[in-house]
Amino acid sequence: MNILNKSIGHFPLGVWIAIVALLALFLGWGMQAYSLLDWDGAVDSGVQNERFTGDAAERAWAQESWGVAVADMLWPLPIGIVALIGLLRKRIFGFAAGLMEFSIGVYFPLVFAFQRWTTNPETVIVAIFLWMIPSLSGIIGLWANREYFEK
Amino acid sequence: MLEPTFITWILVLFGLVLIFLPMLYVQLLMVLRPHSQKTKDILIGKGDDWRDKTHFRISYGAAWADLVIWLPLLVAGSIGVILGQAWGYGLWAASGTISVYINIILWFSEREYVYPACGPLVYYTIYWGFQVYWGLAVVAYAVLRLAGVTL
Repeated sequence: MNILNKSIGHFPLGVWIAIVALLALFLGWGMQAYSLLDWDGAVDSGVQNERFTGDAAERAWAQESWGVAVADMLWPLPIGIVALIGLLRKRIFGFAAGLMEFSIGVYFPLVFAFQRWTTNPETVIVAIFLWMIPSLSGIIGLWANREYFEK
Repeated sequence: MLEPTFITWILVLFGLVLIFLPMLYVQLLMVLRPHSQKTKDILIGKGDDWRDKTHFRISYGAAWADLVIWLPLLVAGSIGVILGQAWGYGLWAASGTISVYINIILWFSEREYVYPACGPLVYYTIYWGFQVYWGLAVVAYAVLRLAGVTL
């Protein structure tokens, strides 16, 4: 038994870490939802980097970012909701959905890092600290408690 | 213990033969020789070039993330389900989730270029379809198995 299995209130510490990491990802999905509703407002507030009114290169980047925002609404957001419900109810589907959600939380910032490091390094660093590291922590927290969900 | 069934083996073999091996090959090519004509022939089309810097960067980022996260998860998950372990289904579902996620992004950012070039048969099978069908099937199958349904 390690510290991640130690019960604190209703859940082991590792599960609490996963729940907090999920909330960090929800912040990201909220920013993506806001972007789809008001793209220029999202650019003005620094949530997105490119406008659809710029030159050809900027429009191409904006189109790609818009595609990611739509994908985030269609797939990781629903999975994250299922994960949160499952973890709070201590069910194995919460463990599986949590791993699914966190795998995206690690995967996409890595795509983003290799894609944008030369053009938007500050956004890459934000994505790593806000989503990738919490997602990795969430995976470790859930993994350490996998038997807790298999019971 | 979640004993592998006929459907488990079909999904494992489909994933390893039609997803893992081809993707390992093309993504290694992309990382090692991104500007070679062979890489561009496979990833873009015979004799074609990168449309713009955005196109190249998203492909490069996805190649690294696939090699570091997605493909290892696919293999680890496959081993786990063959061993009948619940965590294997969790990892497998995570790899299926990434497979669906990146292809939703490609649907919105690439389809308008790729679909006319390769046609419906190739697009909805080899180029885009297999990864979505397999990802959705693995996610649904893993959730059912973890919920105690034997298929």
